[in-house]
Amino acid sequence: MKIDRDQIRMVIALSLVAVIAAAVTGLTDIFTRAPIASAQKAALHKALQQVLPAHSNDAQAEAITIEKSSIYPAKSDDGSLTGLAWEVIAPDGYSGSIRILVGLRPDGAVHAIRITHHRETPGLGDGITNNHSWLASFVGQSLDSISWKVKKDGGDFDQFTGATITPRAVVKAVQQALEFFHTHHDVMLANIMKQATTGNKQTGAGLE
Amino acid sequence: MNKSDIFSDGFWHNNTVFAQLLGMCPLLGVTTSAENGFWMGAATILVLIGSNLVVSMVRGVIPKNVRIPAYITIIAAFVTVVEMAMNAWMHEMYLVLGLFIPLIVVNCAILGRAEAFASKNSVSDSFVDAIAIGTGFTFALLLLGGVREILGQGELFGFAVFGASYPDVLMFILPPGAFIALGFILAAINIFNGYLKRRSEKRSNAAKPALATLAAEVSAVEISS
Repeated sequence: MKIDRDQIRMVIALSLVAVIAAAVTGLTDIFTRAPIASAQKAALHKALQQVLPAHSNDAQAEAITIEKSSIYPAKSDDGSLTGLAWEVIAPDGYSGSIRILVGLRPDGAVHAIRITHHRETPGLGDGITNNHSWLASFVGQSLDSISWKVKKDGGDFDQFTGATITPRAVVKAVQQALEFFHTHHDVMLANIMKQATTGNKQTGAGLE
Repeated sequence: MNKSDIFSDGFWHNNTVFAQLLGMCPLLGVTTSAENGFWMGAATILVLIGSNLVVSMVRGVIPKNVRIPAYITIIAAFVTVVEMAMNAWMHEMYLVLGLFIPLIVVNCAILGRAEAFASKNSVSDSFVDAIAIGTGFTFALLLLGGVREILGQGELFGFAVFGASYPDVLMFILPPGAFIALGFILAAINIFNGYLKRRSEKRSNAAKPALATLAAEVSAVEISS
């Protein structure tokens, strides 16, 4: 089979374009990796400040992992646990999944919840982000203090006019978060304490 | 074509949205507010400048048969760079625009400029063309985003326009509102362009008799000599 010169030129031209494009994107990745990580950290920090009770530790640095969820503990000055938070995903929103950061008190009651990502209908389902009295109706509730359903389903949480699916999905996901805490309560607290002692040891070694 | 013709052509007469009806996907998708429209436009301008410049530089070097995959690779590289930069330094806007940033790759307006203009013109002309097409596209995004934000939420760039008593017309934030608002904007622009055309026709009609006498005089002079 004869390969003519035009074909070789095509291969060389395309290969060169691809190599240069890969080099440029690779270089950009190197330069933006650190800023992207810190931007994500700052966004998470802002959300954590809103759902965790008052704390003086770095909740992100002390995070532990249980069943693939990162759990962020909040601690006071003396190291006692004041609350903990993690992100849950409601897969059954009206359009796509809804990500919710749930903050709990050590006794398992909700301290606050914040929606971190959603694609719900503006003006209807997006009440979950800007209807403050609805968000406040979660505060202080624990698994058995309230019926974890929207009123239409015979529960205690309001739905919105024209939007039932979205609040239903959020209520269900927060309830599952509370159940998750109930099931893994002991492991969670033990891991947080263990993490704290190893963390202290590392600081001690640093001082020597 | 001189530079100002290139600009007025790209910005208005050949506007990506109003004349060519290209780039509809980001146009209808992100224009729920003027701010979203503006930043989407800014990202598109950056990609357009990059791709137009590079395509114009390599024109004649890339064999004709593989030019389209080569252009797409160049465009995709610029889009990836812009996406990473936005993620790093404009994180909140990056989260809002989300999927629409990588989709700039398939905005046919950009490949269209690479193929129809940059591959045939000088680097400086291609740069002017990228600015013209890019600002024209941004203008369209800003206009549609502004109209939808004002009608849908009574705000512009997040500032209240009509006050708290304004009943938000939700439909304009939803996808159907994007089509309806775009339809009315296109109608208004057609009326405006029709007016411009009639005015220029009137002028050339008025100028014709004068030209005819001049031509007659010229031929008379030619005959006599």
